[in-house]
Amino acid sequence: MSKINNDLLKKLLETFGPSGNEETIREIIREEIKDYADEIKVDALGNLIAIKKGQGKKIMVAGHMDEIGIMVSNIDENGFLRFTNIGGVSPFTALYQRVMFVDGTLGVVGMEKLDEMKDLALSKMFIDIGVYSKEEAMKKVNVGDVACFYTPFVQNGDYIMSKALDDRIGCYVAIEALKALKDCANEVYFVFTVQEEVGLRGARTAAYGVDPDMGIAIDVTTTGDTPKCKTMDVKMGNGAAIKVKDSSILTHPEVKKLMVEVAKENNIPYQLEILEAGGTDSGAIHITRSGVPSGVISIPCRYVHSPSEMVSVKDVESAIELLCKILQK
Amino acid sequence: MVRELLKELVETHGLTGYESETAKIVEKYFRPYSDEIKLDKMGSLSAIKKGKSQNPNRIMLAAHMDEIGLMVKKIDEKGFIQFTNVGGVDQRTLLTQEVIIHGKEDLFGVIGSKPPHILEASERKKSVKMEDMLIDVGLSKEEAEKYISLGDPITIRRKMLNLQDDMVAGKALDDRAGVAVMYECLRELSNMNHDCDVYAVATVQEEVGYRGAIPAAFNISPDIGIAIDVGFASTPELSKDDTADLGKGPAIGFGANIHPKVYDRLIKIAKEYNIPWQQDICPGATGTDAWGMQVTRCGVATGLLSIPLRYMHTSVETVDINDIKNAGKLLAYFIVSLNGEDLEGMLCY
Repeated sequence: MSKINNDLLKKLLETFGPSGNEETIREIIREEIKDYADEIKVDALGNLIAIKKGQGKKIMVAGHMDEIGIMVSNIDENGFLRFTNIGGVSPFTALYQRVMFVDGTLGVVGMEKLDEMKDLALSKMFIDIGVYSKEEAMKKVNVGDVACFYTPFVQNGDYIMSKALDDRIGCYVAIEALKALKDCANEVYFVFTVQEEVGLRGARTAAYGVDPDMGIAIDVTTTGDTPKCKTMDVKMGNGAAIKVKDSSILTHPEVKKLMVEVAKENNIPYQLEILEAGGTDSGAIHITRSGVPSGVISIPCRYVHSPSEMVSVKDVESAIELLCKILQK
Repeated sequence: MVRELLKELVETHGLTGYESETAKIVEKYFRPYSDEIKLDKMGSLSAIKKGKSQNPNRIMLAAHMDEIGLMVKKIDEKGFIQFTNVGGVDQRTLLTQEVIIHGKEDLFGVIGSKPPHILEASERKKSVKMEDMLIDVGLSKEEAEKYISLGDPITIRRKMLNLQDDMVAGKALDDRAGVAVMYECLRELSNMNHDCDVYAVATVQEEVGYRGAIPAAFNISPDIGIAIDVGFASTPELSKDDTADLGKGPAIGFGANIHPKVYDRLIKIAKEYNIPWQQDICPGATGTDAWGMQVTRCGVATGLLSIPLRYMHTSVETVDINDIKNAGKLLAYFIVSLNGEDLEGMLCY
């Protein structure tokens, strides 16, 4: 019987929140955790910081609440919206997807006539919100407005499918760990960071402000378990992934050792992760101030940065358990 | 002396992120010439030599002790090891290299290659991709897994080679040649009086984006920071404009990453003491520790010295030992020249 809180997950995943526009998702998380933290604050960039007091080491846990999205750059006479990307949006995954603006306005992504599909680029695409003129469009949307993918949350057996699993699933893991921590030996700062998708920008200032002894990011990682994919020894369903390397960090050997030991001691399924492209909040945290030994617990995720990212419930549960046990150590 | 240090340094294995063995060698050589040795949280090693002044300014020297290399990505069913790179490894240089996998114990391995007899015509013209290469350690999967895990660091096995005159070739001279420069500088300073506190920092993780220099500089909060790294040396196929000559002295960097007054002073000192030097024009990002140091805290006045080096990011990197000695001397005289100087005034634009 799964312990997963589907109502909370659905809320976290379906909420709007591209990088720089995290107000809505921040309020949802704040409401969810307010009875469990000793103190809650929001810093100048918009990072939500929940503190669980304790006498031991100061540990910063980071999950980013922003998601990739698009920003309107121009509206033509017929009301079609030209747009640019916020974070890593591929034209091929965005084509013919539905997108949602903060007020709920929906649109579909279309493209100009192309002789060859390989020439597809965001500059040749547009968003159609079903209007007939610029004036009509401007009643709903303006230049500079942002949108995210619009796909419903699905849970079926062991898998979850949704937009924004990167990294609301990390936020979910952090929230569940915060709720589960009763008396904690360490002082834990749960930080729901902003602007990770545009360069780990929220984690950078949050880490400077928190000044932790150790940093742990919770984020998704790619997998090597789909047909003819790039070689990678991470499989969905094989447990929480303990990161060794990505483009932003070489995990501190002691932190990696600690994570592996805790997983072994508690029989928590885990796998080691070597990610060849991509980075996460720990990349910014570990070089803050005089340096912060840092690591990452990853949730294996197929189709990262698509409207239908996929993770395993079992892996999410392993990640929560691993995080809780580490924080109590 | 410096040749022995270099040999020991480049024959030690210290992949980016795993520099502790290299740090031990650095400590052994630096300790006699410094007042204090400190390791920071990232693993960078500072050798501190105190100045005579009551309120000493701080000079940070930075040379990175990490080296590029490989990392275990997967062990296949037959026990062959697939790998990824750490830092800017050129895949063309990897085939048929001898490597060491630093697992539970160090294991030798070779990166194999398809026999030329059975290469298809199209394959002859292409370089093999790293993802298609395998390391053979001579073990089955079950045996290999006893010693090797995912994420284990891998380095190239290579002894230092003495070429003619004072040239040497080997792996990791980028940037252990720079570490040797700091050694020469500390040694020179041991016979001189200087006002400033000198922090000679062997940094970690430069090859993945100067991740060691950033926190080290924050920690030390220097008034002046000088990075010592390697620069492209001329070879027949390279343009004269982008290279310095081997054996003609360290190249002094100039550009946005460099404080003009630090540059001016380095040149003045080189001229005054007849130390050979060359110019290194770097308009934008230098990609060195100097780039990380410059924007630390409220900003650091930075300088950059480059030791000319041929065949960068291969295991046959080649330098001239005289360039190292001259760079060390230049730095020592530069530091002494700051005696009695009001640094705030000197660095004022």
